[in-house]
Amino acid sequence: MKHLELLEHTDTINELLARYGVKFGIYKNNVFKEQLFPFDAIPRIIEKEEFAYLEKGLKQRVVALNLFLKDIYSKKQIVKDGVVPEDFIFASSGYMVECEGVTPVKDVYSHISGIDLVKGKNDVWYILEDNLRVPSGASYPMIARGLCRRSSPDTFEDLKIEDNRNYADLLRRTMDHVNVGGHTVILTPGRYNAAYFEHSYLAEQTGAHLVNGSELVVKDDKLYFITADGKYERVGAVYRRISDEYLDPMNFNPESLIGIPHIYDVFKKGNVALLNAPGNGVADDKGIYYFVPKMIRYYLGEEPILNNAPTYLPFYEEDMTYVLEHFDDLVLKDVAEAGGYGVVFGNTMTKKQKEDFIALLKSEPRRFIAQEVIDFQDIDILEGGERIPRKADLRAFVLMADEPLVWKSGLTRFSRNPDSFIVNSSQGGGFKDTWVLSH
Amino acid sequence: MKNLFFDYYMQIDYSIVVSKCNYTIKCIPESNERQTIDSLQMELFPETKYSYGRDGLGNRQIYGSNDLDHTTFHYHITGHAITGLHVFEEAEDDSKTMIFRHPHGLNTPGEKIKAYFHLIRQEIRPEEDAYMNSLILMNRLFCDFSYKQFVTNTETSAEEAFALGKGVCQDYAHIFISLLHLAGIPARYVVGLIMGEGASHAWVEILHNGYWYGLDPTNNVPVTSDHIKIGVGRDAKDCMINRGIMHGGGLHTQKIVVNVKEMEQ
Repeated sequence: MKHLELLEHTDTINELLARYGVKFGIYKNNVFKEQLFPFDAIPRIIEKEEFAYLEKGLKQRVVALNLFLKDIYSKKQIVKDGVVPEDFIFASSGYMVECEGVTPVKDVYSHISGIDLVKGKNDVWYILEDNLRVPSGASYPMIARGLCRRSSPDTFEDLKIEDNRNYADLLRRTMDHVNVGGHTVILTPGRYNAAYFEHSYLAEQTGAHLVNGSELVVKDDKLYFITADGKYERVGAVYRRISDEYLDPMNFNPESLIGIPHIYDVFKKGNVALLNAPGNGVADDKGIYYFVPKMIRYYLGEEPILNNAPTYLPFYEEDMTYVLEHFDDLVLKDVAEAGGYGVVFGNTMTKKQKEDFIALLKSEPRRFIAQEVIDFQDIDILEGGERIPRKADLRAFVLMADEPLVWKSGLTRFSRNPDSFIVNSSQGGGFKDTWVLSH
Repeated sequence: MKNLFFDYYMQIDYSIVVSKCNYTIKCIPESNERQTIDSLQMELFPETKYSYGRDGLGNRQIYGSNDLDHTTFHYHITGHAITGLHVFEEAEDDSKTMIFRHPHGLNTPGEKIKAYFHLIRQEIRPEEDAYMNSLILMNRLFCDFSYKQFVTNTETSAEEAFALGKGVCQDYAHIFISLLHLAGIPARYVVGLIMGEGASHAWVEILHNGYWYGLDPTNNVPVTSDHIKIGVGRDAKDCMINRGIMHGGGLHTQKIVVNVKEMEQ
């Protein structure tokens, strides 16, 4: 096969990625460390029909999640109708009272959603989690594809793969859809952020200005960009890569130095679009995940196309009984944690750990979910010239523009540790390109 | 019914010049079923243009910024209030009230409050309504907690204040809300003004039969015509009267002067 030639270029591509600054910054024990995000040239390949199925299911899911957010911050009909218990809304750290009664431009809450999926050994795809706040990762397969094509043009000559370098166009279309008039900017916390490469790359690719908080200012209920020569130019849309908490020190965390005072007040008046809207954390909470299939039925009157991993909520008595009886077969997740932290497998605990955990579970049942361990498919990676199987997931990107759009690619992350199911880049994993076949 | 004049003055003095500042002020009483507000006047220094808005809980606020060098910032809000028109306010739709059924922030009960509630729970009478039971809880708290200034601060939680056994109106309100939630009664924090000279005041509203009733746990009384309501929230943090950030400033000294008195007939 011709495309094997690409594999010979793995090192070159990784060197180029390093030169472009495709790095991951992480804080560990208060020390900032930049590490490379290792690229593996063996792609994940998804057949055309299979992706069409995923696309349909992903759109359905993200449309329902957006309706849920609108409902939660206004009428709360889904709570009144008893589909989602109140506790899961108001005890969630993602629920923000500041967002009550606020309507984002065109009712879009999650403009850019990163949905994590895995394919089980039974060939069934499962949703692992929804990321509706500031999901990152699209830039990595984008730039990798470009570098692969350059290093090994022959590989791509007669392969019918969807071009994934159009992500910038999709993103631009999404930003333009909600722009209320003026510039579109990408707001970054700065170069010490884990995803700074992505911020600058997406700005370059979409033609948006890359700005930090000190370059934006609120004046007379409008948001302005301060140009290099001190002029104020109106901003109509902000793709912000800063978490809700740090976005506006006058409305959220007062300690934030990277935010823009009063930007949220201006957003509330409809004078600027924020992508994504603040408050989305209430919908991508691990506890709320359990309810997403119910949301799809509730808001759309449709059966969910994509499956959740079988999940139990110890909050419900019968689920608690099940969890205690099948403890060793389950993975337990702390709903407040992210990035692969707070995840424990029942069968890896010692007797003492298990007893302590169960005591905690009983005292704070709302804090945990339990899931069946999905034995997901391995994908080969290259290590020292050998192909070895490793666990991998897929982050698919769904954009809400004038219609829901699914990017025909995605970030495939793999675990470098042979025994690990945790693929998060903050835990040292690598990434692959995702090829969606076009015929 | 009373015809009151109110006057709220806040001033911050800085040891170093402030070159730029942002502020949000939520100290604007509004008319409702209990009170009618008129002749509202606001004065701000440095004088700048401000915007009106509402927070997520519906409280009115003004906000703005200035880049004028200053070493003092103040605002002054005065107006008339006719109070005591009703003892309750009709509650909004369930979507607005369910927020107040759950522990949040500073009113979250800890082990000590839970143990205390366990101890006093037999005093709650299942045959009585939420209002009566709230009065019972309020009276019990009033007996077991004492008023003392300067032992707690604005960040003190219900649990911490309860452990101390003393505090100010904010602490009474937080602990009371905590107990009401444990008893299954929706409750919210109220910031307002009370007859006399001093500072702002805090009390609680409980939901009963579709109406919010004001109860003042610091004084162990239902809210009277001496109370002027400003805003509501889950806890004191939701109701912060003013909030600001500034460039420069050095050391701050804050002064608050509040005066509520009956108007001459």
